Amino acid sequence: MKIMNCPLNGPRNISEFVWGGEVKEMPSGPEVSPRDWAGYVFIENNIAGVVREWWCHVPTSFWFIAERNTVSDEVIRTYPASEVFNRRVEFAAPAKGETK
Amino acid sequence: MTSMVETGGVNRLPDSFGRLIDRKRRVAFSFEGREIEGFAGDTIAAALAANDQWVLSRSFKYRRPRGILTMAGQDSNTLVQIGAEPNVLADRRIIEPALGVMGQNYDGSLEADRGNVIELFGRFLPVGFYYKTFYKRGSWKFWEKIIRGRAGLGKVDLAAHHGYFDKQYLFADVAVVGGGPAGLSAALQAAEAGAEVILIDEWPALGGSLCYARLGREGDAAFNLAEKLAAQVKAKGNIHVLSDATCTGWFADNWLAIVKGSRFYKLRARSVVMATGSLEQPAVFRNNDLPGVMQGTAAQRLIRLYGVRPGRKAVVLAANDDAYGVALDLGDAGCEVQAVVDLREQVPETAMVHATRGRGVPILAGYAVTEAIPGTAKLGILGAAAARIAREGETDGAAAVFECDLLCMSTGYSPAGQILHHAGTKFTYDHAANMFQPAILPPHVFAAGSVNGTYAMEAVLAEGRRIGWAAAQDAGFARGTEPPAVTGDRGSFGQTHAWPIFPHKAGKDFVDFDEDLQVKDLVNGIADGYDDIELLKRYSTVGMGPSQGRHSAVAAVRVLAKETATDLATLSVTTQRPPYVPEKFGHLAGRVFEPERHTAMHHRHHELGARMMVAGLWYRPAFYGKPEDRDQAIREEVQAVRSNVGLIDVSTLGGLDIRGPDAAEFLNRLYTFTYAKQPVGRSRYVLMCDQTGAIIDDGVACRIHDEHFYVTATTSGVDGVYRLMLQWNAQWRLDVDVANVTAAYAGVNIAGPRAREVLAKVCHDVDLGPEAFPYMGVRLGSVAGIPARLLRVGFVGELGYEIHAPASQGEALWDALMAAGGTAGIRPFGVEAQRVLRLEKGHIIIGQDTDGLTHPFEADMAWAIAKNKAYFMGGRSIAIQTARPLTRKLVGFTLEDPSAPVPEECHLTVRNGEITGRVTSAVRSPTLDRVIGLAYVAPDQAAEGANFDIKIAGGRLIKGRVVKLPFYDPETKRQEM
Amino acid sequence: MPFALLKYGLSSKYPARRHFPKATDLKSAYDVVIVGAGGHGLAAAYYLVKDWGITNIAVLDKGYLAGGNTARNTAIIRSNYLTPEGVRFYDESVRLYQGLSEEFDYNILYSVRGHFTLAHTDAAMRTSRWRAEVNKHLGVDSELIYPDEIARLCPALNMSDDVRYPILGALYHPPGAIARHDAVAWGYARYAGDRGVEIHTNTEVTGFVIENGRVTGVETNRGRIACGKVLQAVAGSSSRVSALAGFNLPIRTIPLQACVSVPLKPFLDQIIVSGSLHVYVSQSDRGELVMGGSTDPYSLYSTRSTLDFKEGLLGHMLELLPFLGDVKLVRQWAGMADMTPDFSPVMGKTPVENYFIDSGWGTWGFKATPVCGKRMAETVATGEPPALLQPFRLERFYEFEQVGEKGAASVGH
Repeated sequence: MKIMNCPLNGPRNISEFVWGGEVKEMPSGPEVSPRDWAGYVFIENNIAGVVREWWCHVPTSFWFIAERNTVSDEVIRTYPASEVFNRRVEFAAPAKGETK
Repeated sequence: MTSMVETGGVNRLPDSFGRLIDRKRRVAFSFEGREIEGFAGDTIAAALAANDQWVLSRSFKYRRPRGILTMAGQDSNTLVQIGAEPNVLADRRIIEPALGVMGQNYDGSLEADRGNVIELFGRFLPVGFYYKTFYKRGSWKFWEKIIRGRAGLGKVDLAAHHGYFDKQYLFADVAVVGGGPAGLSAALQAAEAGAEVILIDEWPALGGSLCYARLGREGDAAFNLAEKLAAQVKAKGNIHVLSDATCTGWFADNWLAIVKGSRFYKLRARSVVMATGSLEQPAVFRNNDLPGVMQGTAAQRLIRLYGVRPGRKAVVLAANDDAYGVALDLGDAGCEVQAVVDLREQVPETAMVHATRGRGVPILAGYAVTEAIPGTAKLGILGAAAARIAREGETDGAAAVFECDLLCMSTGYSPAGQILHHAGTKFTYDHAANMFQPAILPPHVFAAGSVNGTYAMEAVLAEGRRIGWAAAQDAGFARGTEPPAVTGDRGSFGQTHAWPIFPHKAGKDFVDFDEDLQVKDLVNGIADGYDDIELLKRYSTVGMGPSQGRHSAVAAVRVLAKETATDLATLSVTTQRPPYVPEKFGHLAGRVFEPERHTAMHHRHHELGARMMVAGLWYRPAFYGKPEDRDQAIREEVQAVRSNVGLIDVSTLGGLDIRGPDAAEFLNRLYTFTYAKQPVGRSRYVLMCDQTGAIIDDGVACRIHDEHFYVTATTSGVDGVYRLMLQWNAQWRLDVDVANVTAAYAGVNIAGPRAREVLAKVCHDVDLGPEAFPYMGVRLGSVAGIPARLLRVGFVGELGYEIHAPASQGEALWDALMAAGGTAGIRPFGVEAQRVLRLEKGHIIIGQDTDGLTHPFEADMAWAIAKNKAYFMGGRSIAIQTARPLTRKLVGFTLEDPSAPVPEECHLTVRNGEITGRVTSAVRSPTLDRVIGLAYVAPDQAAEGANFDIKIAGGRLIKGRVVKLPFYDPETKRQEM
Repeated sequence: MPFALLKYGLSSKYPARRHFPKATDLKSAYDVVIVGAGGHGLAAAYYLVKDWGITNIAVLDKGYLAGGNTARNTAIIRSNYLTPEGVRFYDESVRLYQGLSEEFDYNILYSVRGHFTLAHTDAAMRTSRWRAEVNKHLGVDSELIYPDEIARLCPALNMSDDVRYPILGALYHPPGAIARHDAVAWGYARYAGDRGVEIHTNTEVTGFVIENGRVTGVETNRGRIACGKVLQAVAGSSSRVSALAGFNLPIRTIPLQACVSVPLKPFLDQIIVSGSLHVYVSQSDRGELVMGGSTDPYSLYSTRSTLDFKEGLLGHMLELLPFLGDVKLVRQWAGMADMTPDFSPVMGKTPVENYFIDSGWGTWGFKATPVCGKRMAETVATGEPPALLQPFRLERFYEFEQVGEKGAASVGH
């Protein structure tokens, strides 16, 4: 069984973790087109190579980011999500009336 | 007879042979119903051989008699049935008193199998024959039965109960697989360097080939070395030896699977040394599969490990020096060696060759065995024919026939590299050594000894030390000095012949014993166009049998290279997959642990006669009463809630505490409604959608404090909801803390017109009056002295209080309420009654009335969507979908014909033959005395009063009529009392 | 002894006839280039020849013939889907399968076994009834059955209440079948090869020539070839190849593992699937139990094996078939599955003109082989996907019109 190095708990069997998919940037704001939004929701880069992904250590519910090679399954680096997401995210208030 | 018992069988050798047996302990068992006696430590095959029983099984396709091939559990020839256990390796299973052993795969008797007649038709059954015919006009149905009946090896017994199996975890700095000379010296050196070492060996005694093979003229030299190394290993405190244990696979990050007895070990090691040795390979010639034809190492194992004479008169087919060790051993065991037939044109005059000559054994250099001469019914052999090799794979001239009942094959090896393969090691063909050899090893994996192409004993020991040190260093240990690199001849040359394959025009020259494949089957398969090794494997089935190509893979790739005129070095054997040797299902399953979650009141439910149902990992009362009284019980529970008071355990509901200055903002982003202005002391419905806009969960959010919400979630949804919350906040970085408190709280819902009256008896610190504690109110207080969160909710549509209290006091809470309700006639109710009650109120159940794609507008829940939020999960998708025409809508319905049967959940709604939706919930309401339900219908059929067709059992159509929700108490007065 | 085998026994020399042409050089241009010589690509070539008379075709594959998921799947064929569009599509596939051996003169060992999807929970019972109702409505033979009936039809199953997840019922689909998976691909390849289709294995596509939004050529490790149209049929590597053509897909690549036992005398005629327990099992004509479970827990472009897969699977197997404790597992392996958000394939047009796609097969690609080949051939030949494929178009995701198979998909083999 693979070992995943949790930034909070150290190396653990990968069966203790849940995969959360690729780290994607959400297009924000009501002006995002349906097509771009669908791209964000449904379409995957699904790269064969090194990707940045969400992983959660289930017993401690700790989400972090791993850089993993999806061909060799080598975990190159893991780090707390705060390395990437380091400030509070705000959403702009909607324009008057509901957008399409 | 007497003498036989004393000697443990007619073929039993004197005391100086037989290291693994204890002659003081006799063990009687049966084979094919016949009583056999062996010694403790004998394998089934050894004890049978000692008693002159050489046929063990019948082959897969032609049902040819088969006997000992390897004596190492590496082949399928020795598969037998023991009671309900099929496919037992007779050459590895140790005999036990009263063991009942039977041969497999025959009709009639093992020695006279009616099924063997198939062999006469062998020429009509070419490679892949089943692809070529049997299909015209649907005839496969007929032929399939015949072919299926003949296929398969052992039998299963549907009534069998599997025995006890368990699992254990192990950890090591260095794991060494294989207890032969390379493994022993690697383990010693790694331990010397300071590493904790686990040494895994398949055999009862350490030493590997040293236990049976011959290191030269001196018969005992090898064994003495084994004893010495084993003693040194035993003396090391930091080497743990697992004997009789087979490593069956390597998995990522040095995670080894090991089978020992009925235990399955999972070993994590920092570094691994594979010292798995090599597998002697059979030569290919006519009748090379018959009992009496065996590998040289098999004969040596019989002699030295079990003290059994493998035959009376023998011929040795040789291509290396080890063959002469076999000849000498046979001689020592009283077996008359008729000749050594050596494939090599030039036989080096080594000490063992010299000694063999010295014993007067003729050596035929440049000769090959062309066929083994079968005895009666092919149950053994009468002789071996040898002829001069003319060119690769061909002989000419007259054959010399030697009378013999034993033909030993010692023509070469192949690395036992299967586990290295699992680890991703690439093997390449070495033309000098005529073997595949490991080329590049993965990180933290090492190889030593003959698996690595090292055969010369001094080199093997040196390599073991060197690799043991390297593995220890890799694991972080470096005590002592680095052993020198291995220099000089590693002995890989001259071990293995380049072409030990001599096809016979009459066939029966087997490449794959498991699958009964002859040379021509492969040649013809290649001619049919299956000229890639993987294609050839799939077409001919070479290597697909129980021994997974351990003896056929190299021969097959040699044939392929020759037929396609391809350099072997550009080819590889087929991919090796775990396990290395078959693992029992019981080993892999172990003691299956399936977690169960019980609420704090679990025992009370049982005492009250509840029928429990599975809800995720939880168990919940479905209803209270006997199974046969189910409908009546549910009706009465519903009536109790509607007209009196009922109590249900809702502990399995998810509970999430969300605290912090951003708590309301956090909920705003996750749920469809708005929470910023929700007053403290009030609860509000929550609906969660995923980013595609599909409904995934619901519950209520109770504002306990400005900065504290207690949010409920569905039983099966809460873990996912909790995880999602944390993942989003890892990105948003809002100032909130989220805790999943599901297990911390027990919960009950006390509901019904008398709920307040009952609760008031045990709750004195909360004003329960309708104004002071209105519908959707939330209060903190205590019930029967137990601190509690009280929620006025309306899921079942009556006056009701959900009481959430510490799980440790859940049972006391239940007891207090049951006692308080005693005079009122309080009745516990289960999930089934709750489903009816909520349906009467028109409330949906996520997952039942919704599916994986339902968005809120389809579920008629537009009211739960906030209009002017900056963002909420799924919001953009919902907006996009709402702008598109609806394709279905969830409606409440009743039946036009009150006497029509109740549709079942998932009966379809249809129009003009097209499916428009389905019934998601339906019941004959005990309260309203009519059928009510929820169904998806076409949007233009969703208006109140519209009719639609429901297709019920038997394909009958009945009319549903859309009615306004809720069915019961449309003004919702009762829950607000 | 069938007559067809006499020639093999009576000839002095084996009457070999290559099933596939020997490798040749690539031509400079083809009317159609099919990327992927698996079951789907080969079937498309076959129907292009047979239905549309197009023979100037090259089928390219990075590895050996039909060595991807075709070689690794567990060969279950059924049409008991949840959505009408799914049922219609797979029903056509089952019908094509039934006549396939005779049609292309190669026995695919099609064996009707009956398919049982066991239900252990209320929710699974509901989904089973839903599938049964949709199936029946569309003329497909499926029925929700209860424990007595299950015990009668499948005596090997453990129907005891004394297990963690007792069997409450099953979706019974009598036409459920298994077949020899490799033979399906080989049969298509032989027929197509005999009629001029070139199959180039060990030929890797490295890029596409796209001019004004239209594909005109294919770059390979053996050079560039011009083409009229391209069909991509490389499930497991779909995203990698489509990226070469410049577009992404709604696909995650997730391994799916399987394993087999040592051969046993026949005792299990049926195909047994349990979604709740993540198990499916059938017994092949060789006598091996062929077993699998759910897909791996995370994405990976690799066919490595894991121990956790086997441990979990066999634990559940012994709940269903407790007498198998002493039976041995002989081999495990893996394939790479294209997982889509709605558990349905992606077929038809792409953003690149004349470039068609056959992907997103999740764990159901094998059972769709004939219908997909036939209908994709039609799509390539006419330039328009037929109505049967419309629900599965790539564009559906941009239109928020997912296929509703999600409800039935936890173990959908």
